[in-house]
Amino acid sequence: MTSFGNFVEIFLQALTAGILLGAIYGLMCVGLGIIFGVMRVINFAQGEFLMLGMYFTFYVVAAFNLLWFLGPAVGPYTGALLAGPALFAAGYALHRFLVSRVTGISVAGTEGEGHYAQLILTLGVSLVLQNGGLILFGSTPVSVRTPLSARAWEIPLLYDANAALFLNKARAVAGILSVMVAVALYWLVNRTRLGKTLRAAADNAAAALYMGIDVDRAYRIAFGIGIGVTAIAGGLVATYNPFQPYIGLDFVIIMYAGVVLGGMGSILGAFWGGMTIGLVQQLSTLVLPTQLQNAAIFVVFLLIVMVRPQGLFGRATERI
Amino acid sequence: MRAQCKLIAPLLAIAIVAMAWIAVGMLVTNSYYQLMLTLVPIWAVMGLSWNLLSGYTGLISFGHAAFFGLGAYTVTIALVGFDVTPWLGIPLGMMVGTVAGIVIGYPTFRLRGHYFALAMMAYPMALLYVFEWLGYQEVPLPMKREAPGFYMQFSDYRVYIALAVGLLVISLLISLAIERSRFGMSLLAIKQNEPAAEAAGIDTLAWKMRAIMLSGALAAAAGGLYAVVLLVVTPESVFGMLTSAQALIVALFGGAGTLWGAPIGAAILIPLSETLQAQLGDVIPGIQGVVFGFAIILVVLLAPEGIFWRVRDRFHRTRAARKVPAMAMAPRVAFGKTAPVPPPPERTPILTVSGLSKSFGGLRAVTDASFEVGEGEILGIIGPNGAGKTTLFNLLNGFLPPDTGKVVFAGRELAGLKPNRICRLGIGRTFQVVRAFPRMSVLHNVVVGAYATTTNDADAFAAAREALAQVGLAGRSEAAAAGLTNKELRLMELGRALAGRPRLLLMDEPLAGLASQEIEALLDVIRSLAKGRITVVIIEHTMRAMMRLAERFIVLDHGRVLAIGVPDAIVSDEGVIEAYLGKKWASIRAHG
Amino acid sequence: MLTVESLTVAYGGLTALCEISLVVRQGQFVSMVGPNGAGKTTLFKAISGTVQASAGRIRFEDTDLLAVARSERAHFGIAHVPEGRQVFGSMTVMENLEMGGYPQTGRRDWKRNLDRIFSLFPVLAERRAQAAGTLSGGEQQMLAIGRGIASSPRLLMLDEPSMGLAPMVADLIFERIGELHRDGLAILLVEQRVAEAVQSCDFGYVLEAGRVVLAGTHRTLLADDRIRSVYLGL
Repeated sequence: MTSFGNFVEIFLQALTAGILLGAIYGLMCVGLGIIFGVMRVINFAQGEFLMLGMYFTFYVVAAFNLLWFLGPAVGPYTGALLAGPALFAAGYALHRFLVSRVTGISVAGTEGEGHYAQLILTLGVSLVLQNGGLILFGSTPVSVRTPLSARAWEIPLLYDANAALFLNKARAVAGILSVMVAVALYWLVNRTRLGKTLRAAADNAAAALYMGIDVDRAYRIAFGIGIGVTAIAGGLVATYNPFQPYIGLDFVIIMYAGVVLGGMGSILGAFWGGMTIGLVQQLSTLVLPTQLQNAAIFVVFLLIVMVRPQGLFGRATERI
Repeated sequence: MRAQCKLIAPLLAIAIVAMAWIAVGMLVTNSYYQLMLTLVPIWAVMGLSWNLLSGYTGLISFGHAAFFGLGAYTVTIALVGFDVTPWLGIPLGMMVGTVAGIVIGYPTFRLRGHYFALAMMAYPMALLYVFEWLGYQEVPLPMKREAPGFYMQFSDYRVYIALAVGLLVISLLISLAIERSRFGMSLLAIKQNEPAAEAAGIDTLAWKMRAIMLSGALAAAAGGLYAVVLLVVTPESVFGMLTSAQALIVALFGGAGTLWGAPIGAAILIPLSETLQAQLGDVIPGIQGVVFGFAIILVVLLAPEGIFWRVRDRFHRTRAARKVPAMAMAPRVAFGKTAPVPPPPERTPILTVSGLSKSFGGLRAVTDASFEVGEGEILGIIGPNGAGKTTLFNLLNGFLPPDTGKVVFAGRELAGLKPNRICRLGIGRTFQVVRAFPRMSVLHNVVVGAYATTTNDADAFAAAREALAQVGLAGRSEAAAAGLTNKELRLMELGRALAGRPRLLLMDEPLAGLASQEIEALLDVIRSLAKGRITVVIIEHTMRAMMRLAERFIVLDHGRVLAIGVPDAIVSDEGVIEAYLGKKWASIRAHG
Repeated sequence: MLTVESLTVAYGGLTALCEISLVVRQGQFVSMVGPNGAGKTTLFKAISGTVQASAGRIRFEDTDLLAVARSERAHFGIAHVPEGRQVFGSMTVMENLEMGGYPQTGRRDWKRNLDRIFSLFPVLAERRAQAAGTLSGGEQQMLAIGRGIASSPRLLMLDEPSMGLAPMVADLIFERIGELHRDGLAILLVEQRVAEAVQSCDFGYVLEAGRVVLAGTHRTLLADDRIRSVYLGL
């Protein structure tokens, strides 16, 4: 094969990997995007809930084997999806008992001084979860094995008989499921009554109160959904990546970069932001050594924040 | 004079704590406790450095590990690569920290709130990856047996304790100096209300840069000493999230914005976590993080300002309950019935506004405003809700750049100048919402306004006292601002603006919400100001009061100047009546 | 229908309302006028619950409103059209109206209310898929009123509906409000522009510095010169 053909193959491989990875990143970012977009809360513990989603899936599927009846291929993915409701409850409780106390949201309409308190509180939660995870789960990396992680679909590239694109089955399925969950979420937020009340509460809390919407409850639900969605993404990552309790840190910056890139306040934007980050990361393997890839993401993040803080999709008058 | 006396107490405290610490250090022989006694001051310094930036300015940094790590690596690389002793390496690291402060601060200060905290978090994480990539996974500091003292390596651990305490003392002295000077006051003013600080003449960006430079230097020093003590540096241990979190929690726990907060926090939290780590670290790895996490959560929920303030407030409350504060009422000028307002004498214009316009997107906030303000007059700006009055002030003050038009003050064009420059030229401003430093005295609240026009503290305090006398609060100058009545708060806000000796004073709704007696008192003060040749421009709604105060009115409606004239003429003006009461009113009244 | 008795609202040392009493009867049009800072918006906020009452009572029909959680108050049949419109800018016109119809009563009468809203304000029907933030001021005001009606209220509270609107548009708004009243809806209107408010009302109150300084039927108020002095300080 010519070196150009070689390059094309490598490039396409990175591109496809980027898209698949980007889909999962997109879902993670959507979770954070809901929390930030709806409530303007920065949740420093978001990465830890990703991690908890991973461990939930691990324990349900691998350690306790609760889904044995679904078989080794379907079980893990179901476990990942179940992480959503489970962590939704955790997120709801976290907001009810801790976050709402410092947000000052209960005085609707006032721009709380609570912002810093939220930041710091969730930082504390993050530390507790990270290290609590270390205590409970141990530091040895674990993974949820599926028979799909070792297999790949081979897609022949037409320009050369020897060139082919390899799609790792586990990653592909994870990516597709991410898109499906994201679409489901989009539908929930835009088409259902619940979703609309959440958006109303986010848009103008005082006016929402005048409509008879229970804004406090809306915030709790939104927070829970955001956590649950990110947890599902975590569960999906768990099906092809080994993980340990500190893994949240690796993803936190990705999530923030994605949300900021997409534009805080736009859920669709958050998805595309995550997708972009995934592409950037995979494509940068073509030029950068591994460790610098993550540094590259930081640079991208800092650039966005400095140059165009409203992100690609802006804010306010756009539909989500 | 009094300020200098007050310095003795903290200096004494610093000396006592330092000596006691060293004394204890001399007595302890267990190496584990010796390490503890060294680490606590190092983390106290780290906390003080965080406090210097975030505690005083209110800009929360989640990334102080960046400076810490840079300091640690400077010392390490200098020693390993260039055989440079840490005695030089640490000051070198401080310089690196200062430069890092500039490089990080300048772009990042343009960000607000969460963006600032997020960006600050990104820096150490990026540095972590970069250093890992550079190959510095784990760098042990080499033993220099030939001349250990020269290389800051001592077999007797107690020397390290002394070094750490030494660094702590330096940091405490620096923090003390800042706290007691206009540096600290300016930072606090920025935290309290940044726009008001700008308007009072404080160059907020310059002060923030100074703060981060100094903060970076101190954090780097702490990192450098940390490397020397532990003899091994890894990217995770110095650039990691836990390091930034420790800096933050140590300062917050003890009390942000105060000298002793970080030392107290360090003294409590570090031994706690290190002991837990030592006792349980094998069984329960990560116990340190859990402890810090819970500490952070508890602090935020229960004592968001830290232990120091909690304790101090409780102490002061019990003391204050016994004393009845002496109330010195401002003498009230006897005020008779409304005197007919004479027509304004010919005055030289001190402020000329021509063709001023400002739009926000499609909304035209101010359109083609033109008027003159005569020196020494009292001018009222009135108009219905949403007429653009506050926008006009923001344009005059420099908070908003105009789209078109000119503003000329005492012969100088103001376009494009920052608010603190405009303040220095002689325009002062009061704001609707008064945000005071509740725990500080009235005098200290007011002195911030004098920084723009004075070079040393003595002059600043003199100007502040003068301002307080002008508004009639001289008797309350030592009272804590938290105990003031509404009227006194407004007068204090006015005093802050007056401390800058303005020639023109912009007042934004100073009478809102006051009872009629309180309004009288304020009116008296404003009149006396005008007699003293200060020009006053007031936005107000309380018409009855304004009628007796203002010599002339400018009426704004929908962003345009509707009418300019003396009160009697204005209230009979049809256009004005229409603006306030509606077009139909006049016709209804005419036809019954 | 709505009875406010000796309501006092004070916060941060400021007394925004001092022992206000007013009554809105079934099907009545009550206006409240007064200069800026008089406390008119504070009264609405106290009724809706976004501001705490320090003393006094608010009764709506037989319910003690102050004992009701604020997210429940809209469900009793009081619609609040806030100052400055406060539409949900990122949502479409239709979605805004749907939010207005959130209470049980709104859902029950949804079809009927929607027809009513679109016949009163045809421009909303035209723009139903448009984001509310892109509407003009007048259209947003119509949307806000439509949102208020969507809950099938028995009392409609309007806070300065003419603020920032061109006179012609304001006239149209007032016309429609009058129509709603003629159909039997009780209206509590707060306005800075006195003429329209006083002319269309059955009963009016004049507020100054948190107190009721004048009250009477619209005839009485029209004849009284004190209103001008309240506004212009003579």
